[in-house]
Amino acid sequence: MNLRIVGAIIKKDLRLFSRDLFYVLMTAFGLVVYVAMFWVLPSSVDETLRLGVHAEGMGDLLDLGPVDGPKEGLAVVAFDSQAALRDAVEAGTDGIAAGLDLPQGFIEDIRAGDQPKITVFLRGDAPAELRDTIGGFVRELAYAVASVAPPVDMPSLTDVVVGIDRAGDQLSLQDRFRPLFAFLVLMIETFALAGLIATEISGRTVVAVLVTPATTAEFLLAKVVVGTGLAFSQAVLLLGLIGALGTGTLTLLLALLLGSLLVTGVGLLAGSTGRDFLGIVFWTMLFIIPLTVPAIAGLFPGAAAAWVVAMPTYGLVATITAVTVDGAPFRAVAGDLGVVAIWCVLVLAAGLLVLRRKVATL
Amino acid sequence: MDQASIQAVGLSYAYGDTLAVDDISFGVAAGEVLGFLGPNGAGKSTTIRMLTGQLSPHRGSIRILGMDMPGDRTAIQGRIGVCFEEKNLYLEMTAHENLAFFATLFGVTVDVDALLERVGLRERGRDRVSSFSKGMRQRLMITRALINTPDVLFLDEPTDGLDPVSARGIRDLIRAEADRGAAVLLTTHDMHEADELSDRVAFIDDGRVIALDAPEELKLAHGQRSMRVRRRVGGLVEEEVIELDGASAADQVRAAVAKEGLLTVHTEEATLEDIFVQLAGRGLSG
Repeated sequence: MNLRIVGAIIKKDLRLFSRDLFYVLMTAFGLVVYVAMFWVLPSSVDETLRLGVHAEGMGDLLDLGPVDGPKEGLAVVAFDSQAALRDAVEAGTDGIAAGLDLPQGFIEDIRAGDQPKITVFLRGDAPAELRDTIGGFVRELAYAVASVAPPVDMPSLTDVVVGIDRAGDQLSLQDRFRPLFAFLVLMIETFALAGLIATEISGRTVVAVLVTPATTAEFLLAKVVVGTGLAFSQAVLLLGLIGALGTGTLTLLLALLLGSLLVTGVGLLAGSTGRDFLGIVFWTMLFIIPLTVPAIAGLFPGAAAAWVVAMPTYGLVATITAVTVDGAPFRAVAGDLGVVAIWCVLVLAAGLLVLRRKVATL
Repeated sequence: MDQASIQAVGLSYAYGDTLAVDDISFGVAAGEVLGFLGPNGAGKSTTIRMLTGQLSPHRGSIRILGMDMPGDRTAIQGRIGVCFEEKNLYLEMTAHENLAFFATLFGVTVDVDALLERVGLRERGRDRVSSFSKGMRQRLMITRALINTPDVLFLDEPTDGLDPVSARGIRDLIRAEADRGAAVLLTTHDMHEADELSDRVAFIDDGRVIALDAPEELKLAHGQRSMRVRRRVGGLVEEEVIELDGASAADQVRAAVAKEGLLTVHTEEATLEDIFVQLAGRGLSG
């Protein structure tokens, strides 16, 4: 292996990359846009339920029991009229998610053991859980104002949460998008590498290189270094710019390196087709779309099918999330990274094999 | 041919069931230009690909500069220069960058500007190759093949696309390389170029060498020479063709030029194309 030759090919490829305006703009555009989008996204989740209440003739009711001012997870806002309450719920004013209209004589009816009619206002798109929450709130309210037991005995339940308990601690949009942005940057560099290789094949410049002392192995090594270097540097830059490299830095760098090697394998495969730009886009997307699934699934926690775990990039997404959100140590993500490493070897080997065969037949 | 720079013995190569090169043997000495002539698909390119290490022969052996190909591929490739028929240059790099890159691959230090000067491209050295005309790209291809001062040169249609003046310059350059001591294997469709440049020519057809000799010897062995005599008889121009290879040719010539009204005398000899047609039964463009 002649490192002078490998270095010359790398330098040449980087020069050609820098002169391809499309890929340079895509890289710069991607970095700027993804970083900007990240910082615009909310960094936390407001889980407080804002409940509107109209209690005719019961001005002091809201000072009682569970409704005496804002509590963790619940904020009660008083309204002067049923119409105002209804309008606020419909318009979502001040984040009002639902409204309770308590009839006049509510307290007396409760204390007398009657069942007063309570009107609940909900938006059409309110989740079913909100109805249950309001039901519970009404029972608690009845207990507070009348000192009577809730009309319905709640079953005794024990919740068992598997994995990290996200109750009251949901992933913010920044957390959800972080792995996706990293993967999108890797994807852009996949296109760039595939384009470089395809141009080399279609222009048959590789043939000119391989009748010099340069060997196929040196040519392939240079391509792997260029592809991995471009993808890795861009991904590290992105994570740095979005402030994700503060904890578990080495683990994150290892994850990004594995991700870069993985997409480099894809770039080798797509580039081996030697097609024009549209052909490269087609072949690259054919591989990239399935690989993007875990990153997209990360946007909707709990919604992904079980097979997503088997995707080559799942471990990458899981590692980025675990390290950046939960500060997971290396040993906690070693298994995921091990799976990614195995996929890396397989995809990279396939890419090298296909490109080697392609070059041999030119 | 013990001292041949290129020595091919019994070379064969097949693409699947199609035999592209069938038991070809030839040699090229240092300082010699061997013209490699044949129609498309005759096996010329496959032979050159084997000689330059792009393909491994299925049968036979190759020695370049006393080394075994493909066994000593890397060492051999450091001492050969190849000019391909396709213009496989890096279009988004300048001419200077293209040459500097290949110089690095060969591990040589060269005066790139001086090389560009040799082919009249110095002024355009800092321009991207994508802005070059076909002829300029061809001249750059030749220059690239010479970057390592090769001992063996493989040139595939080196004057293709060049204007007559540029083509003349490239032919002079090829001759100069041979005079320097380089062995040159030249593939061309231009019969005049092959005739002018080649010390010997090899006719390739259906993967086999059907003739291999100096152009003059081939013409003597296979071509027909003739003399065309024109004279005015009365008010008309009369033409007589005398085959010079016939037994009575001398008497016929003397008689023809002795007659009154002689206008012109032209001698004609067979071209390499004529000889190829005679030997292969088809033309070089077929």
